[in-house]
Amino acid sequence: MAAPVNKNDCWRVPEVYKHHEQRKVCISRPKYREGRKDKAVKVYTINLESRYLMVQGVPAIGVMTELIQLCALYGAVEEYRPLDEYPAEEFTEVYLVKFQKLTSARAAKRHMDEKSFYGGVLHVCYVPEYETVEDTRLKLQDRRGYVRRAAQYRAREREQKEAIHEEPTSSETTSPSDQIINGHIQTSDNSSAGEILNISHYSSFPPLPLPPQEHHFYGHKSQPAMIPTEDKMGTLHNVVPDTKQQQEQSSSSNQTSYNRNQGTEHRLNSNQAPAVRFVPRTTHLQNRKRKMEVTAEHSVTVPGQNEPLIGPKLPEPSKLDMEDESLNTTVGLIRNTMKQVGSVSDLKPVEKKVKPRRRI
Amino acid sequence: MWRRSSAESSDRFEYLQTLVTEFQDTDSEEAKEQVLANLANFAYDPKNMDYLKELQVADLFLDMLTEDNENFVEFGLGGLCNLSMDPECRDVILQSDGINLVTNCLSSQREETVLSAVTTLMNLVTPSSHSQITHPSILQCMLRFSLSESPRLRNLAAVFLQDCCSEEQVSRAQQQMEVQQTAVGIPLPKD
Repeated sequence: MAAPVNKNDCWRVPEVYKHHEQRKVCISRPKYREGRKDKAVKVYTINLESRYLMVQGVPAIGVMTELIQLCALYGAVEEYRPLDEYPAEEFTEVYLVKFQKLTSARAAKRHMDEKSFYGGVLHVCYVPEYETVEDTRLKLQDRRGYVRRAAQYRAREREQKEAIHEEPTSSETTSPSDQIINGHIQTSDNSSAGEILNISHYSSFPPLPLPPQEHHFYGHKSQPAMIPTEDKMGTLHNVVPDTKQQQEQSSSSNQTSYNRNQGTEHRLNSNQAPAVRFVPRTTHLQNRKRKMEVTAEHSVTVPGQNEPLIGPKLPEPSKLDMEDESLNTTVGLIRNTMKQVGSVSDLKPVEKKVKPRRRI
Repeated sequence: MWRRSSAESSDRFEYLQTLVTEFQDTDSEEAKEQVLANLANFAYDPKNMDYLKELQVADLFLDMLTEDNENFVEFGLGGLCNLSMDPECRDVILQSDGINLVTNCLSSQREETVLSAVTTLMNLVTPSSHSQITHPSILQCMLRFSLSESPRLRNLAAVFLQDCCSEEQVSRAQQQMEVQQTAVGIPLPKD
């Protein structure tokens, strides 16, 4: 029977655990979910993380102080010591570093792992086995508290947006989403915030903050504006999913309860046949595109009616009087043709198929 | 907890949706493992909770617990461990019979799986689920774990016994164990 652990035991002879080992990097990921850095397939939970870090590969040239100074960049270091008993490569040392906060340890691991240090390459990993029962308890409590606070913050944000959401909207004679989008997003009028937020109600996603003004449609990703985002895990993602793939999902052979729920209960299915599991936002996009094309056609053939504006109103070209009837007719014809050509080319960027961007 | 632009938010949601779709559609076990691990890691960041709830990822993770592939179980349970920190996700897991599914994983031979199971059970404790989670069989399991060679498992089991149960419950379970005299039941995981 193992003896009970007391506080002094946290500095005992270390064992080599599986989670200390560096796993092989995964090389078979499809491009769309490759991160900036190749990583192993591993799941991080609160159990794996710890205030205690182990740093291997430190060159044995008397640079302990420099190492701890480097660690201290990421947060206060409570304790540290060399782990002489731990198996180490020749001419390298291993150190145990205890940070005051888990967040500091996380940052230090992320930034120092695989980095070169005085000619060697550091391997940094969490060593939760050095924790005491109290350390573990506090770690779990802190984590739970953090997640709960984040949930409360999100709930408050949602309530605030719903409060704005309830402002009276403009009269909706034709399809609300089209009217609102076409009529307001193109203008730089910030009072359209209420209407734009209404769209989230129609698309049944939780309300999101105002889109940037250069977007033509709510949720539309204009290519130049795509900025790679990075989450806490350091994974980069900047993907435009292939909507055709998603729409071709019919009931698959995999009949788990999860799939069944998806097929019948998913809110996004409201506009599609029950067989399609996900209705990505872009299908609403395509509906709007189609409706826009129809209204654009109308606006070309029936000018001056009360249709939704598609683009900013261009100044009318000055009507030149050629002082000759036949010439004026010709000019009129040319002007009309130019209008037609102009409105069609306006639609082209809208119809442009969004391609998955290759990340470098 | 800063606000993201809607471009980033919609990118993130669609990316998660794509992952879930790939998981459902692919035949490759390797790809499934990668996507599962990816989703489980996303569950660590509270910012993603709403999206994951909408995509019913908790049910996806729960489904993994009965798979033969041990990686599926480990990653799925890791995802649940991360998700269950959030109160709404916790309730979803409870409603889907999460306690039984997670308890069955206490007998896994994989240490990470068992650690995630213990932590998840702790997260799932609510006034209504408390009695189910502190069932004598689970307490006895935790008592065995508190004697494990693995310091992490020892610590987690100790926290469970100290924080989730009363002293009477623990001593009753201890007495029952002594009566049984054998190491029947849930074996300790191999490292």
